Amino acid sequence: MKSKRTLLIRLAVVLVLIAIGAVMMVIGRGHTVYFDNVALDYNGTHYDALYKVTVYVKDKQVAKLYAKERGMATWIGQNFSMTLEVIETKGGDEEVHTIHVKLPYNMDGIVLNLPALLQGLPEEAYLKEFVSNVPEVPVEEEPGSSDEFDFGADF
Amino acid sequence: MKKKKTLRPEGNPIVRFIRNNTVPIMFVLICAVCIPLSGFSPSYLLNEIVTRMGRNIFLILCLLIPIMAGMGLNFGMTLGAMAGEIALIFVADWQIWGIPGVILAMILSIPFSILLGLLCGKLLNMSKGREMITSYIISFFINGLYQLVVLYMMGPIIPIKHFSIKLPRGYGIRNTVSLLNMRQVLDNALSVTIAGVKIPILTFAIIAVLCLFVTWFRKTKLGQDMRAVGQNMEVARAAGINVERTRLISIVISTVIAGFGMIIYLQNMGNLSTYSSHSQIGMFCIAALLVGGASVDKANIGNVFLGVILFHTMFIVAPSAGAKITGDSMIGEYFRVFISYGVITVALVMYEAKKRRAKSLAGHKLAQDQLTEDKEAAQ
Amino acid sequence: MKKEPKDNNWSPSKLNDEMNSVLSTPEASPLQMAQMSPLRRLVASFGLPRLIITAFLLLMFIAAPFTGSDFWTQVSNTINRFSWNAVLVLAMVPMIHSGCGLNFGLPLGIISGLLGATMAIEFGFTGPVSFFMAIVISTPIAIVLGMGYGWLLNKIKGGEMMIATYVGFSSVSFMCMMWLLLPYKSPTMVWGYAGKGLRTTISLEGFYDKVLANFLQINIGTLSIPTGTILFFALLAFLMWAFLHTKTGTAMTAVGSNPAFAKAAGINIDKTRMLSVVISTWLAAVGILVYQQGFGFIQLYMAPFYMALPAVSAILIGGASVNKASIANVVIGTFLFQGMVTMTPTVMNSIIQMDMSEVIRVIVSQGMILYALTRKTKGGNN
Repeated sequence: MKSKRTLLIRLAVVLVLIAIGAVMMVIGRGHTVYFDNVALDYNGTHYDALYKVTVYVKDKQVAKLYAKERGMATWIGQNFSMTLEVIETKGGDEEVHTIHVKLPYNMDGIVLNLPALLQGLPEEAYLKEFVSNVPEVPVEEEPGSSDEFDFGADF
Repeated sequence: MKKKKTLRPEGNPIVRFIRNNTVPIMFVLICAVCIPLSGFSPSYLLNEIVTRMGRNIFLILCLLIPIMAGMGLNFGMTLGAMAGEIALIFVADWQIWGIPGVILAMILSIPFSILLGLLCGKLLNMSKGREMITSYIISFFINGLYQLVVLYMMGPIIPIKHFSIKLPRGYGIRNTVSLLNMRQVLDNALSVTIAGVKIPILTFAIIAVLCLFVTWFRKTKLGQDMRAVGQNMEVARAAGINVERTRLISIVISTVIAGFGMIIYLQNMGNLSTYSSHSQIGMFCIAALLVGGASVDKANIGNVFLGVILFHTMFIVAPSAGAKITGDSMIGEYFRVFISYGVITVALVMYEAKKRRAKSLAGHKLAQDQLTEDKEAAQ
Repeated sequence: MKKEPKDNNWSPSKLNDEMNSVLSTPEASPLQMAQMSPLRRLVASFGLPRLIITAFLLLMFIAAPFTGSDFWTQVSNTINRFSWNAVLVLAMVPMIHSGCGLNFGLPLGIISGLLGATMAIEFGFTGPVSFFMAIVISTPIAIVLGMGYGWLLNKIKGGEMMIATYVGFSSVSFMCMMWLLLPYKSPTMVWGYAGKGLRTTISLEGFYDKVLANFLQINIGTLSIPTGTILFFALLAFLMWAFLHTKTGTAMTAVGSNPAFAKAAGINIDKTRMLSVVISTWLAAVGILVYQQGFGFIQLYMAPFYMALPAVSAILIGGASVNKASIANVVIGTFLFQGMVTMTPTVMNSIIQMDMSEVIRVIVSQGMILYALTRKTKGGNN
């Protein structure tokens, strides 16, 4: 009787831990978000870049972008939100938009096109996966054996 | 512990105090000499020590439970460190950041820690009486297996995808895995800065919880059993305690704590040296504990805190103090390593010598008893 | 779950006997042997891990020609490495005989050898004379350090191995400071720009590089045998064998295998143990000099740190146990271990295109020590 109860408690603990782990996997997924302030064509329509846009993520200014510029921020989780201070044309008035974007779980780096976002275009227009076009320099990294004494080791 | 019988009971309390605390007093003296020589400002020093306390205390606490069970200094804590590292490699591969990443790594490290702990405990049960040298060799052996897994199996057999941690050749993990995205997340959450000293409240809170756990654990049935086993296995067995199981559990708990400790340690460092982060960690933790006045068969939470403060003060100031004295910065570096090893050596020698003395005393007593018995019988 | 009581027959009061007779491989009694099948008998007498390692090495030798590496070059390498390391492994023998366990404190002896080597060069000796002088200078150092070490080990009978390990570590890290501080002047050894402090590696060219190996060296095609080094080892091994058959030598064995009997027979246990430690330390000093003449360099600072472990696992692979370690164990063990070290990289590399040799070496050697440590002790407890 007692052993059965112990078993159940253990099983419950394991399940709870797995559940917490699963939750952490969802809410802890980190993304790097890039903001592009560039013109684009979508469905035959041309959208101009904005004159100037200031991006705030979590109340911190992360980028101030003029046309054809790119900014960047990191975000943990999938429900991305940012505040944009937009000046559409030179000398125009400043508008403030708060924008929520659902980030795809699988993408490490995500490029958001700000003009498309502001125009309310569908996801395929404003969201692209970030692909690094800097070719990685193949460094021959030979992992060292660790039975040598690491003297510089800080503790 | 039973009252120790020394051959020469010292009457003078001051002499006794010095005798019982030789190592901490020695360290206080070393620090007292080195601190002014090093030229560090008090606030810098304090900041460093507080950081290192947050970073290391959790790890060192894992040593207490095997000592309680009479298994000596658990050099096998390295196994837990490796379990923590494997968990962190996975978390880094899945790109889980921040505090969720730390929590996930901790959860993930548990199965690895338990597995390695069971293995270590089983082997230590097969080598009673020489646990320390065995656990020391186990740490080397498992390090070999760790390298086999991390260097050759991660990639083709164990799925690792992320380019930032996988070697360009397609298998194996890079020399360093960046944990930048969880760097000091625990330390910075809820931290307060008092007079230029950053105090990582959350990390200390976690440490406090573990301290409470250890204190509570001593009073549980299992904890009592462990202490009984630690004092005398035969007596404990006669009292119906399953000695092997108790010892096994103590090692498993220690390994799991070490795994958590390693994750806390590495989130503070902000990067993981895949093949060397764990290699010296056991030695430094054990040295720190011993500096705090612990011995092979007796250690408490106070020893851990005192040890971390003294050992790390020495660790911080030794290189620059050494450079001031000898004009060569390497001397200080070597000096602190020498001191770490020296402290462990002295502690081990003192422990073994005490054990032998106690035993020969018991032998003498037995012989004398027999002699008197014989005399009585003759009369 | 209750285990059989005999499995757990342990108590602190028995600690000493238990620890004094550490590390014996299980040896079946003749009666038990007779009841086993031939295969089981082979395994029991030889030890499973040893069998696996031998088979592994044989496989390597067979596979070597197919992988394109020259068979005789491989054999030469193995013999060469054997000749470098054999004396260091031989240093394990006396302490095992006297019951001090495995000499994890080998670095202490190595340090004596390093002091001898550096001083011989500092005093201006060159060529073969420098090798002789290195041995001469290191001898008194090894004796003094060995006596201190032996005295310490006598104070802590039962806990020798752990303390030996840390004596080795402490002495190596202490010497790290000394290599910087001692007033060495010879320009071949000190850092050029600072003019003081010894270099991490010192070339032996012009001193005693290959001085033994080149003596009577045999070269047949790609096979080359460093006859001189092997003869030197053979001489030391013979002396060791002869010593173990003298009165003092048998007394040493008695101390290791049966301390109570030895005490009853009037043998001074502490003195005998100390003698064994001194011999072991001296052999380690000579061993590192032999290693250097083969390797061609003196390695200082952290190099001696982990040198005890390969020697320990080599003698265990060779079939040693605590109160029994023969010269044959040394020869077989060193050959198997060094064979494994030389063969695995080349063969492995060409078969699976990965150099796993380092990892395999670590796993095998540490596994071997672990295997020995977890064996039931043979001491008369049960």
